[in-house]
Amino acid sequence: MKKILFGLLVIAGLLSNQLALAAADLELNTPAISALKGSMQQRHGQLAGFYASGAVGLTRDGLIAVKEASAVALKDRQSLNSLVASENNDRNALYKEIAIANGHAEWEAEIRSTFAQRWVQKAQSGWWYQDANGWAKR
Amino acid sequence: MTISYSIKLILTDIKRFLVVSALFFCALLQSSAANAISEISISAERIEHAQGATKNTTLNLDLRDALPKLSLRSGFKAKSSPDWFQLKFNCSLASNLGSGRCSEGLIKSTHLEVPFSFELDRLSLNGKPDISATLTLNNANYSDEAGLHATEKFNGKFKLALQSMARGWAWQSQVDWLSGEVFWQPFYVAEGGHQLQASGTLNDILLNIDVARLQVKNVGGLDVSGQLRLSDYQLLSLNGSAPSLDLAAAYPLLLKPMLEKSALSNIEVGGKAALQFSIKNAELKSFELDLHHIDVADINQKFAFYNINASLPWSYDEPKEIMFSFDSGELLNLPLAKTNIVATVNRFSLTSNNIRLPILDGALSLSDVSAARIANQWYWHLRAKLEPISMADFSSRLSLPRMDGTASAEIPLVTYAGGRLTTDGSLQLKVFNGAATVSQLVMQNPLGTTPKLNADIALRNLDLGALTRTFSFGAIEGKLDGDIKQLELQNWKPVKFDAVIQSSAGRYPRKISQRAVENISSLGGAGAAVAIQRSFLHFFEQFNYQAIGLSCKLRNDVCTMGGIASTPGGYVIVKGSGIPAITVMGYNQTVAWTDLLARIKRVTTGNTIIK
Repeated sequence: MKKILFGLLVIAGLLSNQLALAAADLELNTPAISALKGSMQQRHGQLAGFYASGAVGLTRDGLIAVKEASAVALKDRQSLNSLVASENNDRNALYKEIAIANGHAEWEAEIRSTFAQRWVQKAQSGWWYQDANGWAKR
Repeated sequence: MTISYSIKLILTDIKRFLVVSALFFCALLQSSAANAISEISISAERIEHAQGATKNTTLNLDLRDALPKLSLRSGFKAKSSPDWFQLKFNCSLASNLGSGRCSEGLIKSTHLEVPFSFELDRLSLNGKPDISATLTLNNANYSDEAGLHATEKFNGKFKLALQSMARGWAWQSQVDWLSGEVFWQPFYVAEGGHQLQASGTLNDILLNIDVARLQVKNVGGLDVSGQLRLSDYQLLSLNGSAPSLDLAAAYPLLLKPMLEKSALSNIEVGGKAALQFSIKNAELKSFELDLHHIDVADINQKFAFYNINASLPWSYDEPKEIMFSFDSGELLNLPLAKTNIVATVNRFSLTSNNIRLPILDGALSLSDVSAARIANQWYWHLRAKLEPISMADFSSRLSLPRMDGTASAEIPLVTYAGGRLTTDGSLQLKVFNGAATVSQLVMQNPLGTTPKLNADIALRNLDLGALTRTFSFGAIEGKLDGDIKQLELQNWKPVKFDAVIQSSAGRYPRKISQRAVENISSLGGAGAAVAIQRSFLHFFEQFNYQAIGLSCKLRNDVCTMGGIASTPGGYVIVKGSGIPAITVMGYNQTVAWTDLLARIKRVTTGNTIIK
């Protein structure tokens, strides 16, 4: 179920990105892009609970961050940190690869900010995200 | 008689508060009324100081018992901190004030709750001051705002003794971490049982650590000595020695958090290590790490090394010889035999004339090896030679289709810089009784999330018999040449190439089995040509052929196909010779790459039945 939700989220994100960034084809699917999506999808199952508990939130630059580590037992905090670091590695690579696949590496920043908005709009209620004023709850 | 004074003070100097209070107590105790006084209490609403502030401070002295009791309650705040702390404790003092005990102590704020008790074991201020005190924390909890530095239910004892010397102080301290969890990013310690004992001297300029012994439960001990300059907290010197560390215990506690991004992030390890190091003026000058009988195995079974012994010295000033050996191992399921590596480490670079890794019945021999770490990036180059290994063994180990013969390779200079691996010249492989040449090989981020590879590959005189048997394609006798140009792999999957394979020039037996004919025609699309001739082909097991050829130009997931010749409706894949002559045609000019892969897979798994 989580996988389906994530899939919908990605598709919705991609579709609406296409409106915002008419020139970029965000549906291009190179092996690098699909490897990244696959790895993010697999990780989403581990992250979903942390979004819901507020331990992790969505940042303005299309990444995620540890917001409230105290929501997690001490012994699990380092694995939470590495989960967030790996997710951010994939997200950074995804924006870069989509830009490269479009033949416009310089579109990366724009693709990133469109994704950032979409991640937030598609976030489930109760998830935390960053806006101009700091952390806010959906 | 109880006297209670409430003073509404706004003082800018904490000293002034202490002086005022002390004078006040003295005056009262000295006064004729002293005997009649049973309790004195002073409160100050707010005291301001350059370094911070206090509020609602109450100091209470109870004189009813023989031993006076002192209690304090106060809110305080350091100038740099936004949080107010609550502090309280009750003390009972010996009549000569030479010892005392404070209990029910508590420091509390939003992120902190530290119940404590304090014991003044010895306080002698006559002549040479001599002080000894113990602070005990009971179930202390702390967390910073982000929760990345936190402790829960911490129980510990801090003991400090100070004796005045001609210049400065002599000190001895002991810290016992009795129980409690601590997470100090990235380290997590689940339980106590650790101890630090240290002693030294202290003056205005230097903190000297004569000896400090850190004992980490189950891991081992570390002895250090050194000097810290107090003006800028610079470590002038630090020498350490850990003669025997248990790696099985040290790995999850200390090493794993630091190796998170490396190949060693998910391993099982056992054995002992010894470490010595020397730091001067805050720079690492030398160390020596010795490994004794260590076994390491990757949990995802990518590698394993057994009975590692190593001597790894390093010095900032002079080159050192390092030695690394293991008795046996496995790399991607390939067994490695006993290996000895000797190399020279010169500050941040490593060189070795030869490193030989015995693999199966052959070996990978690296020469002219040189590696350097510059600005947190690795740079290296090497030459390599694969001494012949048996393909039968190799393929079964890697769960590949069984191959015969041997493989050997010459790998020219390989250079890795800034995440990019390039080769000078071409890589030569001997496979299937023929030769494969890989040239223009470039890899980017080979170990990253999005690896890319570009190369040109030339295949010459591959034995089709061995090849078709290996991939259960249906027997073909003959030789094959191939050229795969502009090959580009992303994440190890092809995204672009221009490939042509065709029978080699020259004289040799050329025979193709009926099954191979059927399989080949299925690669080029529906086998119309085969279907027409099916009735009489049926009687022949194999045919002679003049030439076989197939090409695929891959762009955007679509393969544009061709053969050895074009016809109005398609292309010729197999051109027969003799009687009966067979011609296999292809009709699909374009095939989706994924479809073609699926067809090849169906064919090679031997399930294809074309009727």
